[in-house]
Amino acid sequence: MANSDPDKLIAKADKLTKLSLTRWNADWRNATGLYEQAAIAYRLAKKYEKAKEAFEMASKGQEMLSSPWDAAKHMESAAALAKEVGNWNQVSDLYRRSSELYIECGRSQPASDALAKGARALEDASPDEAIRLYNDACTALEDDGKEQMAFDLYRSATSLYIKLEKYTDAATLLLRWALAADKCSAAHSQCKAYLSAIIVYLYAHDFQQAEKCHNDCCQVDAFANSDQNRAATRLLSAYTDGDVEEIKRAAQSSTISNLDHVIIKLARKLPTGDVTALKRDTSDLQEDPLDEDDLT
Amino acid sequence: MSVIDILFRLDDISKKYEKYDVEKQRSVNGSSDDAFARLYSSFESQIEATLMKSEVAAVETNRATMVAMNAEVRRTKARLMDEVPKLQKLAQKKVKGLTKEELEARVDLVLTLPERIQAISDGSSKQTQGWGASSSHKKITFDSDGKFDDDFFQHSEEATQFKQEFEMRKMKQDEGLDVISDGLDILKNLAKDMNEELDRQVPLMDEMDTKVDKASSDLRRNNVRLKETLHNVRSSQNFCIDITLMCIFLGIVTYLYKILS
Repeated sequence: MANSDPDKLIAKADKLTKLSLTRWNADWRNATGLYEQAAIAYRLAKKYEKAKEAFEMASKGQEMLSSPWDAAKHMESAAALAKEVGNWNQVSDLYRRSSELYIECGRSQPASDALAKGARALEDASPDEAIRLYNDACTALEDDGKEQMAFDLYRSATSLYIKLEKYTDAATLLLRWALAADKCSAAHSQCKAYLSAIIVYLYAHDFQQAEKCHNDCCQVDAFANSDQNRAATRLLSAYTDGDVEEIKRAAQSSTISNLDHVIIKLARKLPTGDVTALKRDTSDLQEDPLDEDDLT
Repeated sequence: MSVIDILFRLDDISKKYEKYDVEKQRSVNGSSDDAFARLYSSFESQIEATLMKSEVAAVETNRATMVAMNAEVRRTKARLMDEVPKLQKLAQKKVKGLTKEELEARVDLVLTLPERIQAISDGSSKQTQGWGASSSHKKITFDSDGKFDDDFFQHSEEATQFKQEFEMRKMKQDEGLDVISDGLDILKNLAKDMNEELDRQVPLMDEMDTKVDKASSDLRRNNVRLKETLHNVRSSQNFCIDITLMCIFLGIVTYLYKILS
């Protein structure tokens, strides 16, 4: 049945769906079957553009037959083929459409998977769009209460931010990750996320932010009593002392070596910039009270 | 391997092979006609042997063997003390090819011999009275033989040596403990990650469980229905009825055919 030319199949399917004087109702059932066959045939023949269009038509047909699950699946295949073609705008649109259809079925996990696949495909081509897709994927899971599954997405998004050198955004995302970990009481991941955020701030040489972040994180009980807090305190005190060797040693500790490898790479490159400048700031503060004592 | 390990190993190996080295020397010496050298070398070897025996006796836990070894040590010590005068006489003798300095050196050697012999500990008394840091000997008795001073110095030497060894061993232990603590840190982190991963998998497994249960019950229900349908279609009873009716039909057809033809 499928041996016939896919073009012919497409033509037949189009005839079935086009409304004219002789045809009052489009026969979507047969048409969808024909579209699917044609799409598979095109994909085998490596005619990706035509295959993508055929999959789109098939997905529309399934929608008409009110089975959003099949529609979503076809839309995903179409998006994967769009990636082969290299049409990046379409890739993102198609993946978004397929995730909407999955949510219509009430299945949030495949929806977020579709968005994640889109984001991965677009990482090199258009990273901003990829980041938007990652964010939407995380939101989709969190809305459904499945934060546990979002950890991998947060990891990929963080590494993408760091690749783009958007350190404040990366740190913000890490704090969001910690929040998700808190909701599903994954204390270890939460502490690791806090420590990673502090390291990212230090790498961006924003010491005040790092300290503020550390103070905020110490409010959380789970972090305050953890190994990660001790490592963070050690690192920050090494910074205030301006001791480069101590910073390097603190960065080599086993707690930090247990984080995500992107963060480890950042930690190994610490300290960035001039640490003695930070040291001077703290010693200036100490001189004033001494002067007052002398006067009295 | 850390430096401390290398040092210890080197000590052990050199001690082991030192034995061979010295023996070679002694055998070379012994082959000469020098009676003094021969006797002196035999003295040295006996002193070494008794020293080793006394050391073993000091750490021996079995009291009987300890007492026996100490008695042997005392016997050898007494014998050696008796032979010292003989050695002294030989030392005075002038031997061919020997310089004046060597002669004097020999005399000195013989003089130090009695001290060395007495210094070999034979497990009796005078072990831990000195208020040096020695704590290795187990027997702490208080009967002194008046030979206080020598023993006092002896122990402070031993004590410092022991203290050095103690410090080295403690450093080695600290290093080992550091390695263990690093390993434990890594293990703890791995375990925590595994814990969280498993927590993540639990709801997935539950979902899978319910789905598989539903699927298996569906299958069973379908099987039952299929069996019923098959039974209705292919039951032997219906089959016989079909055949008999077929035969009756054929009979009627042949009858009609016969009538018409």
